[in-house]
Amino acid sequence: MTEQDDISRDAELPEPELATPGRWSVSLVWLVPLVAALVGLVLVVRAYLQAGPSITITFDTAEGIEPGKTEVKYKDVVVGKVSSAELEANHEFVIVHVDLSKEAASLAVEDSRFWVVRPRVDMGGVSGLGTLLSGAYIGVDVGQSDKARTEFEGLEVPPAVTNDQQGKRFQLRSSDLGSLDIGSPVYYRRIPVGRVVGFDLNPDGRNVTIQVFVDHPYDRFVTNRSRFWNASGVDVSVSTGGVRVNTQSLATVLVGGVAFQSLPGDDPGEMADMDAAFPLFSDQNSALAPPDGDQLKLRMRFFQSVRGLAVGAPVDFQGIEIGTVSGIELEYDRDKKQFAALIDATVYPQRLGRAYRGLRDGVVDHDHGDEQPINADRQVFTDMVNQGLRAQMRTGNLISGQLYIALAFEAKAKPMMVAADDGQPLEVPTSLASFDQIQQQVADIVDRLDEIPFRDIGRDLSDTVRSARDLLRQIDGEVTPELRRLLEDVRATVNAANQSLAQPDAPLQQNLTETLDELDRAARSMRSLTDYLQRHPESLIRGKANDPDPTDNFPNE
Amino acid sequence: MATQPLCVCEHCDAVYRRRALARREIARCLRCGAELYRDQRYDLNAMLALTLAALIVFVIANVYPIVRIEVQGVASEATLWGAIMATWNSGVGVVAALAAATVFFFPLGQIALFLHVLPALRRGRVPVHFSDAMHALRLVQPWSMVEVFLLGALVSVVKLAGLAEVIPGIGLWAFGILTLLLTTLTGFDLRRLWEIADGARR
Ligand SMILES: [Zn+2]
Repeated sequence: MTEQDDISRDAELPEPELATPGRWSVSLVWLVPLVAALVGLVLVVRAYLQAGPSITITFDTAEGIEPGKTEVKYKDVVVGKVSSAELEANHEFVIVHVDLSKEAASLAVEDSRFWVVRPRVDMGGVSGLGTLLSGAYIGVDVGQSDKARTEFEGLEVPPAVTNDQQGKRFQLRSSDLGSLDIGSPVYYRRIPVGRVVGFDLNPDGRNVTIQVFVDHPYDRFVTNRSRFWNASGVDVSVSTGGVRVNTQSLATVLVGGVAFQSLPGDDPGEMADMDAAFPLFSDQNSALAPPDGDQLKLRMRFFQSVRGLAVGAPVDFQGIEIGTVSGIELEYDRDKKQFAALIDATVYPQRLGRAYRGLRDGVVDHDHGDEQPINADRQVFTDMVNQGLRAQMRTGNLISGQLYIALAFEAKAKPMMVAADDGQPLEVPTSLASFDQIQQQVADIVDRLDEIPFRDIGRDLSDTVRSARDLLRQIDGEVTPELRRLLEDVRATVNAANQSLAQPDAPLQQNLTETLDELDRAARSMRSLTDYLQRHPESLIRGKANDPDPTDNFPNE
Repeated sequence: MATQPLCVCEHCDAVYRRRALARREIARCLRCGAELYRDQRYDLNAMLALTLAALIVFVIANVYPIVRIEVQGVASEATLWGAIMATWNSGVGVVAALAAATVFFFPLGQIALFLHVLPALRRGRVPVHFSDAMHALRLVQPWSMVEVFLLGALVSVVKLAGLAEVIPGIGLWAFGILTLLLTTLTGFDLRRLWEIADGARR
């Protein structure tokens, strides 16, 4: 065939039909970026709507806190995430920025408290072991206030009481803190029902106020008749009553504690109010002792050394502690030309109980019907002195050399008259203690010291330490290798993924060309679909129209 | 007029002579009504629309995490740049740089070059540095490998799924769509752009 033929053939060929489509069909393709923009907009709007407030918390150290990973949890629900952590300008503490979720916005109020939960061994035992695996997180105690706040000072230790815990707080007044500390338990009938949550030195520096928290429902056992005492450590008291060993539990030996109970009797008393104040007694006996009643001042003169006798030493009558020494002074007796120790004591005659009431009634009824009670007490003691009551200084504790005052009748005592009523303290004559008594006391003390189960206490302690050590070894031996293996597995996977992508002869690389071809083909058919849709947008609704019969449209056929 | 180009209908094999088209005109087959060719301006429209879509999806893909992995309650989210930085820090800087180039910079360059060229051509003008941009586009296109990254990420997700709880993130979906869009962009015939530019110059 010649070129001429070609041209003439070309001239015979028909020209295609020309059409100008409606303007709207062109805009169809713009739907694609519009949809993409809409999706982007939705994502942005959603992020904006879900974003809660950002807060900053300061901590001493950022140990365990990882920006982007560490979460803030309330009741174990994630309510926020640490976005960044930075050092404060003076390098004293770290500032942690936290993004709270929208639902947690109400957490950022005036009295909320934050702390880092990490494994911790403290008064209450071992806590936060779960964070060994999950990593540290920030705990939050939601405040009750409705005032918003965005800057917080983080606690270094978890709070002993969180705001959502039910119970009551009480104040205890004591002369010193003893072995108590924040977290020390509070016992009721040896059941732990609360803990010490704080302590303050009073402004005058003379006393300590200890705050305790008693959990619901035990808080109802704290009444106006409740007495609190220090149940700390091993309470070994050597007194006229002998040696007493008293502990609430092994825990109190280690960490100290407070116990409370109502005064014996039928009346349970009324429930105490929040923040009610109670005195903290040094031991159970003094806490539960009957009320003292009126007091009577006694004065004694000892012509011997009073080394070992201290203010506060007990005054004892036939084994019952009825008072304490209130003052010790030295005096020079010009007549006898010798020094005398002038001992003042305060006694509570009511503590002698029923026997004393009988004596006192006798005095009041027969002699002076309208006698003032204080004078009646004095009269009874005056009578007793006349009948031979003498004061002796005895050894209470051989180890420490502590002394106490014992009041006792002496059969051989010469009658001695003392003034019946005077503004001065009642003078009680003294006598020297016999050696026999001392010896007997020594034997008693030694016997009872033997009864203290020091060995058991020691064994229990070493058991506790051993099981703690076992636990730690277990964590070290089982958990850590598990974690390491897990990490190695993850790394191996990533390596494998790297290799299958990086090696030139990797099967993935070979398949890639084919895949891309496939994609290309897919794109091409997508394009013809788009084109078809552009031409026949109505086909979306009506379906694809049947091809018209070629003969109808092609007259040259 | 001697060698007027011919055109064959893809659907019914009818042969036509090419005709010059007016603006927005489409040439159709007389026999079956199929589209033969159309005024190139409409292609510019489609290319510009898809390029804009690709840009939006590219931003989404880079902002949102690709995957979230949870092992024993320890969660970790990875964005593209997080992954690249992690690769860099683990000592294989070359791999990190390569990944950054093929998954981030080259696709971004491709989109940017299209955005430079297309709007001007669409208005019938030739953009500044047109030929440089077109050469750059030709060089960049083969190196834009978002699809490789997507396949790698999918392989990792599948492999990790047995070891940890793996949750695909918005970023992964965005990369999927970005792959489709970029493949379509790459499928455009750059020669047509030259032709259009020639037409605009005249
Ligand atoms: Zn046709």
